[in-house]
Amino acid sequence: MEFPAALFPSYFGAGPPREEGGPAPVAGWGEHGQVLEGVPGRRQAQPAFVPRRGATGERWEAADAAAVPVLLPSAGCWIPSAKPQDILYRSSLCRKLQAGKTGATLDFARQLGHFFVDHPEDAFGSMGRLLHKNFYLGNSKLKRPARNSTIRMTALVEDIDRLEARRGCPRQHLASRLRWFSHLCRDWLFEVPLGLLADCLHEELMQQWSSLLFDDSLTGGALAWLPPEDEGTPVGCLVHPGGQAMNHLYFQDVVLEELPRTRGSPAQFELSGRIQQVATARVDGQDFVGVRSDYHCGVWRVPGKRGAAPTPLQVIRTDVPASCLTVSPHLPGELSVCTQSGTVYLWSIETGLQQLRHDPQTMFFRDHSPWRWSDFTGHPRVLSCADRTGLQCLDARAPRKCHFDLFKVGEEAGCQQGERVVLPMYLGRAHPSQYLVTTQFSMYVLDERLPLVPVLKWAHMMKAPPLFAHLMPGKPGRSHKVLLGASRTQELLLLQYWDSFWGVSSGGSQLACQLVGTPQKLHSIAGCLQHLPTQLPHRHHLLQQRLAAPAAGLTATLQEDGSHKSMLIFQLSEAGDVFCQRLTHNTAQPPATPLRDEEPCANPQPSPAVPSPAAALQYRCWLRAFSRACREPPRHTWPPSLSQRRLFTRRDLEGPAGPSSLQRQMRQQLRQTMEEGGRIQHREPLALQPPPLPETLEPAGDPDPLSARLTAAWAGDWEQWWEERTSFSVAQRQQALRERRRRQKRARSRRSLSASFTSSLTYQSELSELSDTGLSLLSPSRPPILSQEGSPPAGSPPVHHSATSAAPDEALLSSQSLRCHGIPKERRKTLRDYLSVWAEGPPEPPEPPGSQASQLCIPSSQSQLSSSQTRRKRPRMGF
Amino acid sequence: SSSEHKLNFKKSKEACLSYIQDALLQKQWKRAAEFLTCYVESLEKDYSREHIGPSEMIWRIGTEILWHHSQSSMKEFNCFMEQMKTLGVKRYLKVCLEHVFHLLCDGQIDEAYQNLSLAESWRFGEQTAIQDKEMKLIQAYRGLLDYYSWSKQKNILLEHSEDGFSDLAVEQEMHGYFRKAAVNLKEIIKIPGVWDIFVKCYVDLLEFYGDHNEARQVLNEYAYNSKFPANPNAHVYLYQFLKRQGESKKSLISALKILHDIVPSHELMIDFNTMLQKSKKRKKRRLGLEVIFAALDYAGWKENTKAWSCLAKQVKQIVISEKHLDWIKQEWSSRKDWWPAFHFSRYLAKRNWQENKSLSYEKALVAGILLGKGCKYFKYVSHQGCKAQLKRFRMLKKFVNRHSPVYLRISG
Repeated sequence: MEFPAALFPSYFGAGPPREEGGPAPVAGWGEHGQVLEGVPGRRQAQPAFVPRRGATGERWEAADAAAVPVLLPSAGCWIPSAKPQDILYRSSLCRKLQAGKTGATLDFARQLGHFFVDHPEDAFGSMGRLLHKNFYLGNSKLKRPARNSTIRMTALVEDIDRLEARRGCPRQHLASRLRWFSHLCRDWLFEVPLGLLADCLHEELMQQWSSLLFDDSLTGGALAWLPPEDEGTPVGCLVHPGGQAMNHLYFQDVVLEELPRTRGSPAQFELSGRIQQVATARVDGQDFVGVRSDYHCGVWRVPGKRGAAPTPLQVIRTDVPASCLTVSPHLPGELSVCTQSGTVYLWSIETGLQQLRHDPQTMFFRDHSPWRWSDFTGHPRVLSCADRTGLQCLDARAPRKCHFDLFKVGEEAGCQQGERVVLPMYLGRAHPSQYLVTTQFSMYVLDERLPLVPVLKWAHMMKAPPLFAHLMPGKPGRSHKVLLGASRTQELLLLQYWDSFWGVSSGGSQLACQLVGTPQKLHSIAGCLQHLPTQLPHRHHLLQQRLAAPAAGLTATLQEDGSHKSMLIFQLSEAGDVFCQRLTHNTAQPPATPLRDEEPCANPQPSPAVPSPAAALQYRCWLRAFSRACREPPRHTWPPSLSQRRLFTRRDLEGPAGPSSLQRQMRQQLRQTMEEGGRIQHREPLALQPPPLPETLEPAGDPDPLSARLTAAWAGDWEQWWEERTSFSVAQRQQALRERRRRQKRARSRRSLSASFTSSLTYQSELSELSDTGLSLLSPSRPPILSQEGSPPAGSPPVHHSATSAAPDEALLSSQSLRCHGIPKERRKTLRDYLSVWAEGPPEPPEPPGSQASQLCIPSSQSQLSSSQTRRKRPRMGF
Repeated sequence: SSSEHKLNFKKSKEACLSYIQDALLQKQWKRAAEFLTCYVESLEKDYSREHIGPSEMIWRIGTEILWHHSQSSMKEFNCFMEQMKTLGVKRYLKVCLEHVFHLLCDGQIDEAYQNLSLAESWRFGEQTAIQDKEMKLIQAYRGLLDYYSWSKQKNILLEHSEDGFSDLAVEQEMHGYFRKAAVNLKEIIKIPGVWDIFVKCYVDLLEFYGDHNEARQVLNEYAYNSKFPANPNAHVYLYQFLKRQGESKKSLISALKILHDIVPSHELMIDFNTMLQKSKKRKKRRLGLEVIFAALDYAGWKENTKAWSCLAKQVKQIVISEKHLDWIKQEWSSRKDWWPAFHFSRYLAKRNWQENKSLSYEKALVAGILLGKGCKYFKYVSHQGCKAQLKRFRMLKKFVNRHSPVYLRISG
């Protein structure tokens, strides 16, 4: 390849960047940069000039209104990655303090608490086992001999609970007992010394936070397209990660038709880590596919003939996470690997690893990022090494001696302050000595033969740094296309540049690199949301979340079918979805003047507004599969769960001597309901007392029919009230009552195993049981009135409520009656809250919540019910 | 509430900007233009201390729209640019320069020249470093246009002199252009940078007036001053100048040697190699082999028939003479672990045979000598060649077979 006869003029300075930087929203527009005489060596009347940016490019137009899914969503729900809310401290107090400050506060204490609760074995395992017998969690007073060696922890636990309840309260006093306890055992209780643990956790939190701000582990992207060997067949192979943990590697044959269509089932490999990057190169007609996860890198070979199975060749393991893996386009089975410790290896399948460089420091100035990158260059033995400060090329035969600087963040390339290298890429398929370097502000094209001075520079104006790039080399005389992709914002930008001969007519001298055409924004995955059929709000939300998942890869292919040229662009999201869009080359009106480019402007809306019928069909298929895969609602919205272990002690329930018969009855009923896991609101007639007609519990005075009817309606039983009112036959009513009682008995006998109710059982398990039975018994003919507020959850026991069931609850909840029951003042509120949970509507959709059960004794029927849904255990600290 | 108002204003400004950006990226020029007319309001309260202020944004966006909008005309564009020049004092020179670029690309050389002259006379307070640079560029481009005028006059004059009469006025004018161009071009090429066209033009002027020393000095400075980037063109210009001057082989070789050191893959390396091969000195011939081997290391030279034939020729010479086989051995030793896969794989043999028979011939010769007659590349190509009954391939086979012991000496 010849070197251009003349380059565009530019100043050359040395040293750190002088220009003050910052994200500039429109910095890339309206500039030609420089001009050069376009056809050097030809004497004309007037010189013709060409600009560095702004010359005519090819016109590519979107063929569809939005990106279309290529693959159906895989089974199993995608778990969204952490959000800032998850690790930042949020409390009103803190927010007030923070107003005006920009720094974010990480919620360190909460995370440490989570660790203790989620990993009690790791946190307190041995001490917990040792002291198991010396800690007592019960309520009763300790007997004399036991007291010598045992502490009662109940009060401490209470204190902790109270502390939790007052979180964020400015008048928060530490209970002295807690302080005393923590002072006493801080040094020996923890499996890992607390200081060390805290350090590790803090480090991890910082890392999580920085990866939330900018996650560079995805650099390079995890999607690749292996084009067919002969360009005639429209079947290629899409290499992409999948599975819930993105640890499955798929080689999927795809037929390129109007919409790409998968063919056959993919070759699948399960890997031991999340796939961060998939890199490919074609050497001697074979594709080599390198796959990088944090601690493992592997390489596959895909024979040129389609249909042949990919063969895994070799895997290496690294101690430090690998940050880069690139495949040599020159020699078969050669790759380069970088790790975050600053080491660069040349990895050959035949000869193994060769360390080229080891330097934990960055190259040109100090930068904290451990990210390193390496790629191949025009010389098969010379590799480029990059960190955030620039690029160096080194000769693998003498890496210490032979190296030169290719790119420096500095005045040499006219960088801005704070600019950092984001992604370097060898553009060998377009030009053997050219290189692409992207930073968060600009994209540069460099030529190895003229290091440090970019032959092309343009401010790309993307909102997030471009982590992915894909090159589509143009045939001689046509522009090369580069796609830049960002992760978080899913941005996709199509650029065209020229480095080829100006034309045979002008004598074939090579012209300097030019950016041609205007940059073009392509559809993002999230953009297809508006073209999907309307969804229910929560579905819509799920869908939105799914489609807005950060992008994880990008690839594209050019397809030529006679005069009809099109470009297919595939985009991968972190959720594992692969979407595709087609651009078609518009040659209808070859631009007449060289500078009046593109757009005849007759159609200001180049892309169609509605998806084609085929695309719409694809959307529907995808949506159906998506809703099937995500039928299970997200697990993070739990209904409120209350611990009732400390709600009543036996003494509380025993109550004062000589309660009235009503109170006794009520108490007994309450206890029984709780044992059964029933609901107080829906009190049934008790079997022990034959005539417990609800009417007796009604407030004194015969209610007028209107208020009775309203009460019934309020309770959701208006229908029944009406029936009762219309049926005059008392015998009939008695018959109905008996029938109901029999049914109730049957139901109770089914549940009798749960009679071994212990005080440590939580309410949650009962709820789950109820919901379960309810779901199965839900009859479609139920009148719609039932779903009103105050009505039972959709899954209520198969018992019809009596018309006035709400009344006793009221009586129960009045503070007077609570006092009568000997329930202390502080706890009355809790009890009221507890009961009001039931008075409220159904707790979220009827999801089957996993039960929390850290107790020694779990009724078998319940454990069966709850064991199917395991939920994270949150037992008390260490015990 | 006033702060709230300010905040809202800022917010709507940002929203408007993002709409414009969206429209521009989707090539919806009309839509962008409509939004831009709203955005102009943002100038009213331009307190921003941002990197790029609203006036610069309007200039950039407006220019981009006018480049592409179907209904825009050059007249409108010029008008817009004039307004933009007055909008921001700091950017006056920059806007002028971009305006000139657009005029130049549109072929309006005279208008561009006028604009450059106007911009050159602009003064406002103390110049910043950036403005200084921009001013230098403006002067340089004016110098370039002067050079083109000079060159035009020169051609007229040359035509006239062919016809046999001279025109004094044209000549005077030509000298005038020379002076103007030389002053400005001389200035810019003193500053470190990439000034290929300016240097070329300046040297052309100097050469025409016979000031070869100055030209040589300028080119030497451009090529060897360490403050300038390692621009291969600087060496190429120097080499071409020396060649035009009829300099000795020695100085040509030394100029190309430096080019070889900085860019071993430069296309002039073929010339360099032929020059060295012709030399009588052993050292130079040795360098020639090094040069051609080094060039063929690069992926860009993989299919360069000329380069392969240069290598084949020199290797053949060495093999026939049986002297200096150690040269080949030395060059080969650092390449033998990767050249076979890089150049001489069976896949490449097949492809080269299909696409370029003479390339495969040269490569097969080199492969046969370096890797022996058992080499896949050689075997495939010679087999195909013999099958196709091509005489030179049969000769090739014979030659390699005859010299097969060489392979053992090279690889040993």
